[in-house]
Amino acid sequence: MHLTVIPERCSGCKVCELACSVGRQGVNNPKKSRIRVMVLYPHPVIRMPIVCKQCGVPKCGDGCPTSAIYRENGIVQLDREKCISCNQCLTSCPFGAMFLHEDIEQPLKCDLCDGKPLCVEACPKEALKFHPKHILGQAHRLAAARNYAKMSKVEYMDGGQRKVLHYTKARGKKDER
Amino acid sequence: MSVKGGYFFRILDVDLTRGETTIVPIDESFVLKYIGGRGFGARLVADHLKKSGGKCDPLGPENILVIAPGPLTGVYLPASGKNSFVTLSPATGIYGDSSMGGVFGVELRQAGYDAVVLRGRAPELSVLTIEDDRVGILPLPQAAGVSTLEAEKLVREATGDEDMKIASIGMAGENGVVFSCVNADWSRNAGRIGIGAVMGSKNLKSIAVRGSKDLPVYDLDALVRVSREGYDYLKSHEFFRFWQEQGLMSVVDYANAMGILPTHNFKETVFDRADKMNGYVMEDRYKISDTACFGCSMSCGNVCLVREGKYRGTVTEGPEYESAAMLGSNLGASNFAYILKANALCDDLGVDTISTGSIIGSMIEGLEKGILTQEDLDGDEITWGDEEGILRLIGKIAGREGVGDTLAGGAFAILKRWPDMEGVLSHVKGLEQSAYDARAAISMALGYGTSDIGAHHTRAWTVASELENGAGWGLEEKAEFVIYHQTIRPLFDMLGVCRLPWIELGFPEEYYQRFYQAVTGVERSMDDLLECSRHVYDLTRTINVTLGIDRKDDYPPRRTLVDPVPSGPTKGNVVDRDEYEKILDLYYEKRGWDSDGKPSLSL
Repeated sequence: MHLTVIPERCSGCKVCELACSVGRQGVNNPKKSRIRVMVLYPHPVIRMPIVCKQCGVPKCGDGCPTSAIYRENGIVQLDREKCISCNQCLTSCPFGAMFLHEDIEQPLKCDLCDGKPLCVEACPKEALKFHPKHILGQAHRLAAARNYAKMSKVEYMDGGQRKVLHYTKARGKKDER
Repeated sequence: MSVKGGYFFRILDVDLTRGETTIVPIDESFVLKYIGGRGFGARLVADHLKKSGGKCDPLGPENILVIAPGPLTGVYLPASGKNSFVTLSPATGIYGDSSMGGVFGVELRQAGYDAVVLRGRAPELSVLTIEDDRVGILPLPQAAGVSTLEAEKLVREATGDEDMKIASIGMAGENGVVFSCVNADWSRNAGRIGIGAVMGSKNLKSIAVRGSKDLPVYDLDALVRVSREGYDYLKSHEFFRFWQEQGLMSVVDYANAMGILPTHNFKETVFDRADKMNGYVMEDRYKISDTACFGCSMSCGNVCLVREGKYRGTVTEGPEYESAAMLGSNLGASNFAYILKANALCDDLGVDTISTGSIIGSMIEGLEKGILTQEDLDGDEITWGDEEGILRLIGKIAGREGVGDTLAGGAFAILKRWPDMEGVLSHVKGLEQSAYDARAAISMALGYGTSDIGAHHTRAWTVASELENGAGWGLEEKAEFVIYHQTIRPLFDMLGVCRLPWIELGFPEEYYQRFYQAVTGVERSMDDLLECSRHVYDLTRTINVTLGIDRKDDYPPRRTLVDPVPSGPTKGNVVDRDEYEKILDLYYEKRGWDSDGKPSLSL
């Protein structure tokens, strides 16, 4: 299973941060959550939840002097016994998906909440999805196919004759997946 | 009663003249009585006014600006991103407040303060930085005259921090435009009553905040239970999806159908081209994404982009209903791309869209009626729907150029220069009317008339209920209904939450009592909480009475009492003056104020 982020849908409300910090750290503090919504404006307008992608080859482990980062059952874990809080992983992760807070000694990292991510459940915009891996990329495949259908006309051969089919011009509705 | 959560019990007091900061402790009885946000602000402003002998120049260094989130701000519950700015208004000369959504207030609370009080005046244009316990005042002279967004960029450069939450004023705030705003998170504004000008008068361009603290919640488990129930309630509402899609822009069609949409400077109440500027036009052609304030599932913010034509490339969060109506139909303009441009320009310069639309509308009508001449407007000809002329005038207001210098002074300055504009410029107590016509609903007229900050709709938005359900209501019920609104609405501002889940999706009031109890550990009934907000309304009235307000100031805009609606579903409606006198008497009586509108409270 994979936690997928759909930034186009994110409203920037940070309910995911609240659900994570309340559920996992037991405090109402979005600065202690394992997912963060980055907001950029005005152009381009981006609201992007940043969270661990549980990479097959976890780059966050690069340079970890005590090999505290390991992968188990598809989840990248931090061995709290081995971790020496040097914070090397924070800069090694190419997505910036590990976080620090001065009250907490070791980095904060998403572990998918025992297979039921609280952030996914809480997201009011369905911008976070917890999918089987084979779903990944389907949105782009679908979008490519639908974009083709948005062309105003398609030429095709029917019984040796060249025919033209006109489509209604699609109005800029967002792809559903 | 002992308070077990919800507060840090401290206020940050910043003297900008001396560059000194003090932590002022507050006690349990204070937080129990005033709750937070607008309640704290009202009390602190009242104390300050008392100390100043009942006199205070809103734009002098002696005025204070209180920034106060509430005990629920930033907490895991629906729409908890609100934060109040409270001061004495340069537009009206009396009490004023404005509440802002977004994430700024949450950050401020996480820095560990229940409120911030700003006083004095910095020696040069500056930014106030608050990073938990570290507070600093940095000179920012390079930000003089720049837009709110540019100011944010300059603050990020000066502090070297990309992640601070920043509230800034635009050129209008620096120039003392009495309806200038404070802007944060790109397009969230503390608008209407000139908070921007008060900040500008203190030589403060921006406030940058970073907070890291846990918000004090007494019973987290109980909170999570109630909140989940609350989020589920909203999600299951039949209009939830529609609200996410259109937000307040859905009101354009409603207001037009009901005959309350301000059109041609409030002369008319229906606009024949409303279907060119409604929520569907926005969705189909301009909207590129949704935005939400902190903790809110309703995401009423709409990010819009103009893809073609002369306004191509304009991108803004908005408009919402008020901005669309005041800059659109009220000025006889229906081109949605222009509305976006005007909205973006107002945000950049930091002026309030409602007052700007109201003032420009009155200028056009003034010219049309011959009260004003073209020379009065620097030789400029401006007519209904004149996009270029309107945009030019917005710029002149913010820059105080030519006639803009008078318009920047708001309703009072305009009426001082052209007294005959009284019947044309719709205002109460010097604050211009917002985008709901009141002629078909006397409760709305009473709401505008008795609002403590002037003609603003959020104090008592009763027009929809009266038009839909009020056919059998007597004056007494209508007066009570206005008081009910003026009592529950301040409570939202005091708690630090948004009223929209309640007013738009029927989110039950009881939830707020449950949230309050989970967060503070204090068991109180909803009636008890409403008693606090009722007291705060009496207090703001007392501030106003101290500053010279009485019955004569409690009337709706002149047009509401004089000019019948010319066409549409509310045709012929006008509020009868004798009826209004009667409802005003009833209102005072029910509030326990004397017949001149004076409460028995002292400051």
